[in-house]
Amino acid sequence: MSLLECREITKRFGALEALRRFSFSLEKGEILGLIGPNGSGKTTLFNVLAGIYRPDEGEVIFRGESISGMAPHLICRRGMAKASQMIRPFQEMSVLENLLVPGMYGGRLGLKQAREQAANVLNLVGLESLSEVPSREISLSQRRQLELGRVLMTGAELLLLDEIMAGLNPTEVEGALRLLEKIRGEGKTLILVEHVMQAIMKISERIVVLNHGEKIAEGKPEEVAQNPEVIQAYLGRPYA
Amino acid sequence: MTARIASKALVVFLALVALLAVLPLLGLEGYRLRLLTLVFLWISLAGCWNFMSGYTGYIDFGPVAYFGAGAYATAILMIRLDLPFALSLALSGGVCALLSAMIGWATLRIRGAYFAIATFAAAEALKQISLEGDRVAGFEFFGGSHGLTLPPPPASEFFYYVLLAFMVLVVGISFFLEKTKFGYGLMAIRESEPSAELSGVPTLALKIKAYVLSSSLIGCLGGIEAYWLTYIIPDDVFNVMRTIQMVIMTLLGGMGTVWGPVIGAGFLTLVAEFLGAKFVYDYLTILGVVIIAVVLILPRGIMSLGKGKRGEAK
Repeated sequence: MSLLECREITKRFGALEALRRFSFSLEKGEILGLIGPNGSGKTTLFNVLAGIYRPDEGEVIFRGESISGMAPHLICRRGMAKASQMIRPFQEMSVLENLLVPGMYGGRLGLKQAREQAANVLNLVGLESLSEVPSREISLSQRRQLELGRVLMTGAELLLLDEIMAGLNPTEVEGALRLLEKIRGEGKTLILVEHVMQAIMKISERIVVLNHGEKIAEGKPEEVAQNPEVIQAYLGRPYA
Repeated sequence: MTARIASKALVVFLALVALLAVLPLLGLEGYRLRLLTLVFLWISLAGCWNFMSGYTGYIDFGPVAYFGAGAYATAILMIRLDLPFALSLALSGGVCALLSAMIGWATLRIRGAYFAIATFAAAEALKQISLEGDRVAGFEFFGGSHGLTLPPPPASEFFYYVLLAFMVLVVGISFFLEKTKFGYGLMAIRESEPSAELSGVPTLALKIKAYVLSSSLIGCLGGIEAYWLTYIIPDDVFNVMRTIQMVIMTLLGGMGTVWGPVIGAGFLTLVAEFLGAKFVYDYLTILGVVIIAVVLILPRGIMSLGKGKRGEAK
């Protein structure tokens, strides 16, 4: 049984079909990259998976159970958590407190256990020296680390990572990639949406390409990079 | 706020409460006793409002709905069913819990100014029911604009101690709220509701719980005041000025903090009383200037003076 399966999902916004009969499945432990031009439906797909949007047609099956239309907090508790560049941290709360909330609610830990787990996660994402700092005072790349820490605290086994490397400089991207390798080492399953090609081609085992809400290609990174349709729609030139 | 400063503040507060508890035995009576009772009432009201609005960031502009509903429920249970005060009060809290669960379930899906307007409207609606209900239904129940008269109350000392205890309860809940899963969930909703929801926080359920907690306690305070003053009318117990006062007191002291409502309500009640006695005709003007000055100088409330703002390292 696949960990996650999308069956013919369609999502419309008025006359616009943001996703059209989109299907894919994902196995436990996999790292899947999702690419495509702006407006191709990547973020919409994530929002459907995380429960922010209800699909107009089709079904999302997670761990053998339909979760279409379920509230986001319930999906999070079931083990699928979304991190996004757009998510704001809890500004007035410290970095540590920012991690206690997903630990206690998403991960269903007691306060004491959540503190212990937060210490591990702070260590993993490299924010241990900032644990007492209010999260409004940390830098952009530290916010991304915190956002990764937040989804890790929920204890989810499937992480949806929406452009968490956007706006980072090359050194920071390298750091983020190392962090993702570590997270993969913890046995997590990942779906990444990213425009940083160098990063997503390197870490993904399989790539799905979206264009105008439809899947136009799927396969290993090197195959997808040579696919003429993908080059035309998105890459512009073959990605070496 | 560091844990040490927080517990120091609690020790100071408890020492003050102990002192206040013996004052009547040392001869405190009459006007001063009633003034302090009023201070306890307002600290409790502002504190209850703060549970909901201070921690979740949803500005409740109709807490007086439950103050009035609690006052009427207590009065009706005591007059029409001859129930004792304590039982009537507990039942009134239950009535307000039920009422606020229903109103909260409907209104807590809308945000910002819309939630404020909806709660304001709910309070006005309840006032109209108590004013016109009898005439429409054709029987004697709420007493219409004539209001209701409760059985003769015990001495002022009784209300002094009841409201002192209530104030300790409200401050205690607030103090522990900041250290529990429930409190963290509420603060997460205030800081960013979408992030909270994506972190597994059942945001609607938590908001309803906070609203019910706040509203049922405000209802009990309405019941206590009704028994204290023995006479209630819709225009007074549902008066929007009471809502505004809870809001201003909390803003003045510091929203979303344990001590903000205590300081804000204590300060404003005493200053208003002092100015009211000294400058009988101009005191509201002076009070307005004082409030504006505090808000301009300390936009995050008096509490921000002590660096006790939430989110500081602790």
